[in-house]
Amino acid sequence: MAFEPKRPQKKINYEEIRLYSDAELNSTTEEELKNFKIKHDIPMCEDLEKGPWPSFVADAKQGALHRRKLADGRVLIPRDVIEDLLGQLELSFVHGETHWKHGGIVGVFGYGGGVIGRYSDLQEEYPAIAHFHTVRVNQPASKFYDTDFLKGLADLWEYRGSGLLNLHGSTGDLVLLGTITDQLEPLFQEMAHVLDTDLGGSGSNLRTPSCCIGKARCEYACYDTQAMCYEMTMHYQDELHRPAFPYKFKFKFDGCPNGCVASIARSDIAFIGTWRDDIRIDQNAVQGYIAGEYAPNAGAHKGRDWGKFDIQKEVIDLCPTGCMSLEGGKLVIDNANCTRCMHCINTMPRALRPGTDTGISMLFGAKAPILEGAQMSTLVIPFIKAEPPYDNIKEVIEKVFEWWMEEGKNRERLGETVQRVGLPKFLEILEVPAAPQMVKEPRSNPYIFWKEEDVPGGFQRDINEFRKRHKR
Amino acid sequence: MALSTDKLGRFNPEKPLENRITDIGPRHFWQTFPEVIQKNYGKWAYHDILEPGVLVHVSETGDKVFTVRCGGMRFMTVQLLREICEIADKHCDGFVRFTTRNNIEFLVTNPEKLGALKQDLWSRKFVSGSYKFPIGGTGAGVTNIVHTQGFIHCHTPATDASSMVKAIMDELFGHFTSMDLPAQVRVSMACCLNMCGAVHCSDIALLGYHRKPPVIDHEVIGKVCELPMAIAACPTAAISPAKTEDGLKTVKIKEERCMFCGNCYTMCPALPLADKEGDGVVVLAGGKLSNRISMPKFSKVVVPFLPNNFPRFPEVVGTVRQIIEAYAADANKYERIGDWAARIGWEKFFEKCNLPFSDHLIDDYRLAYDTWRTSTQFKYTDLAWAVSRAADPGLDD
Amino acid sequence: MEELKSAIIEFLEGGKTKTKFYFKDIEKAVKQKIPEAKTLQIKKACSALINDGTLIYFSTGSTTMYGLKGRGITEDH
Repeated sequence: MAFEPKRPQKKINYEEIRLYSDAELNSTTEEELKNFKIKHDIPMCEDLEKGPWPSFVADAKQGALHRRKLADGRVLIPRDVIEDLLGQLELSFVHGETHWKHGGIVGVFGYGGGVIGRYSDLQEEYPAIAHFHTVRVNQPASKFYDTDFLKGLADLWEYRGSGLLNLHGSTGDLVLLGTITDQLEPLFQEMAHVLDTDLGGSGSNLRTPSCCIGKARCEYACYDTQAMCYEMTMHYQDELHRPAFPYKFKFKFDGCPNGCVASIARSDIAFIGTWRDDIRIDQNAVQGYIAGEYAPNAGAHKGRDWGKFDIQKEVIDLCPTGCMSLEGGKLVIDNANCTRCMHCINTMPRALRPGTDTGISMLFGAKAPILEGAQMSTLVIPFIKAEPPYDNIKEVIEKVFEWWMEEGKNRERLGETVQRVGLPKFLEILEVPAAPQMVKEPRSNPYIFWKEEDVPGGFQRDINEFRKRHKR
Repeated sequence: MALSTDKLGRFNPEKPLENRITDIGPRHFWQTFPEVIQKNYGKWAYHDILEPGVLVHVSETGDKVFTVRCGGMRFMTVQLLREICEIADKHCDGFVRFTTRNNIEFLVTNPEKLGALKQDLWSRKFVSGSYKFPIGGTGAGVTNIVHTQGFIHCHTPATDASSMVKAIMDELFGHFTSMDLPAQVRVSMACCLNMCGAVHCSDIALLGYHRKPPVIDHEVIGKVCELPMAIAACPTAAISPAKTEDGLKTVKIKEERCMFCGNCYTMCPALPLADKEGDGVVVLAGGKLSNRISMPKFSKVVVPFLPNNFPRFPEVVGTVRQIIEAYAADANKYERIGDWAARIGWEKFFEKCNLPFSDHLIDDYRLAYDTWRTSTQFKYTDLAWAVSRAADPGLDD
Repeated sequence: MEELKSAIIEFLEGGKTKTKFYFKDIEKAVKQKIPEAKTLQIKKACSALINDGTLIYFSTGSTTMYGLKGRGITEDH
């Protein structure tokens, strides 16, 4: 396998780029943290320090104390930014209402997305968070990191921002929370020059694509989700940074029908790995499961006594198509009737594996509820090969982009446009024929809008000819 | 090349395009992989969950990688991130991974290192006593809740996210650190119906909801907002231009058309819609997005409204607990909440979860008819008898 | 390119109370004036006008609009 980044990659060494000394990073003691009170009274927030689950309030307080102890000039936005954030959060609990306002800024020069403007509506009470913008950073595919990068980012963000962040936001970006307008450009260029990384998307553009863990650590991956996610992100940089779409547009890459990045529910184009040959069977391992040598479902049910594994009840009878059977102690799969739901494979991963002639199914049009209601994506292309440089898939994508930019209304997601004009029209755009795989069932009403060219002789007729046969 | 300490760094406002780097995209993923991942890329044969939160993946080459999954907080400080890095440097050759559900994954290749890593992770606590890196979130249990920003950073939330997630995960901690449910339960949380979190296909979805239309700040709206933008922002065209008695430019709102999305407030701070009494939480259940056994499903509204009782949301936490315990007691192995509800019938779902039913739970938006029951097949529960008695008060007398 | 640019500016200057426009509105107006204009060219012209400081982006976070720099309510109100 060749891994060719589309540009030379910088080697990042934290010791060479760091902003803070070890002494500065380890400036607080446990005793100080225990006795630390922030400048606002926050009893409700502090209630959230209790309990076993990690407490974001306890974490925020340690961040606040850490900032307090940094020397003058060692942070470029107010030192008490976290304290004001917690103070405002406490007041939001009291009021039962948020205290944030939106701004219209998009951040850095030349880009139409990646930054979201945010302002406190209590700027006198909480001056440190008067301006508190969000910065979306494009995460590496499937969210592995080396610590040199993360430590560098931590220093940069403590210095030029609040030191508060999300790993990760809902779309997949690494999200930096809270800085002032003047620090947006410097932050952006420090990230580009030193951390070798770019902003993600916001607004009416291609949003930051994301993918599952794929071949990096999963035996189910039917295609290289990371490679494809990276390639598409790089190929569509202009669409990602310079918005000219009717609304947002999302790509998500799932390696198999288990759908760990939720592409089927959340992306305008879902790329979901699948196969077209037979499920691979290791009959010895099947016997191992039957004999109880291996825990079913990769051990996912170990916390409770469900009794002895019963292949008939737990696999064969639960197969949605009934395409499996045991014949003479051997597991037999009627692959032509398999819908590749993954249940048998998930249940017996040592015995069953996806086929080797793999590709992707392309589904279109998922979105959250506003306005027409939530939509899941619709299967349109049952199988397409997914090999670099993915020109076959880019061709499909570009047909969609071109049509949707033309046909889509302002603030209309692809799924809504397709619903408005009808799936048959969309098939015409993609130049693919209709197939029963695209629907759960055929329509139950016969109201087909026949077109003139569909009907022999067309719509234009001579009434006089008609009257020759029928009196008025 | 070091990070700059100059106030403006490498940016020169006089010449903004000088030395400017754009459109470089993310870092390439390959350099973020530990050696064992690079070596076995695409060669994994199978995996096994050794115990809650601990997985082993076995390669065709015979190599193994052990993964320890910890519950993470989406919202964190750089101090915690530095501690994550310290752990990764100490045990994992300086590599770490995050999951789409905000969990943190540490990978090691040596079983001896695994024990030390686990011990180290469990030993780390915040001064207030909560764990920093609880291990779990695998298999048939409750994994981390994906959520949105809430009061921490959003301008249109109808509730808070981080606090609700903390309260629920404290309550469900035992299901995070074990695998004792019939199947995995994915809980998701979004603070308003714009659903940055897109929670609509989750086993349990918690959704902040406004119930009052925006209140118009007539005095300033003409000055602080561009009215055509505010008007165009409304997805249901409920906002139109108007004049105040004093002749100031303003807008009027058809309140019955408002769907409480807050898009107008995004464009115009003079149209706030947050309201302590109006805002609260909707609970949905039975969605999923895996294709396993049954097709993906939307979550259904099962509780139309619960109050925002900050900071620990006892009503929301209690409802989630009720649904999960009823499901745990009654569902079959491998059955997700939605499959369970479909099998027993939604009327039984409400009975077993001890949830009330109201007309708010019957769809009256677009395509509502699709969800109405057009069959004589139903099961008798108390709620059915309540209908029959209302129709015929003499029944059973 | 120059023709497209001036058509865009002309359209944006024509707005009475509106100062921010969706790309689609710009596209429609430009195509009315220059029927052979292609969507992608119009986008490139908009990007060029952003880069030379004539236009600015304005974003709601979920959608993006274009406006003439200095007109209407803009950043850091």
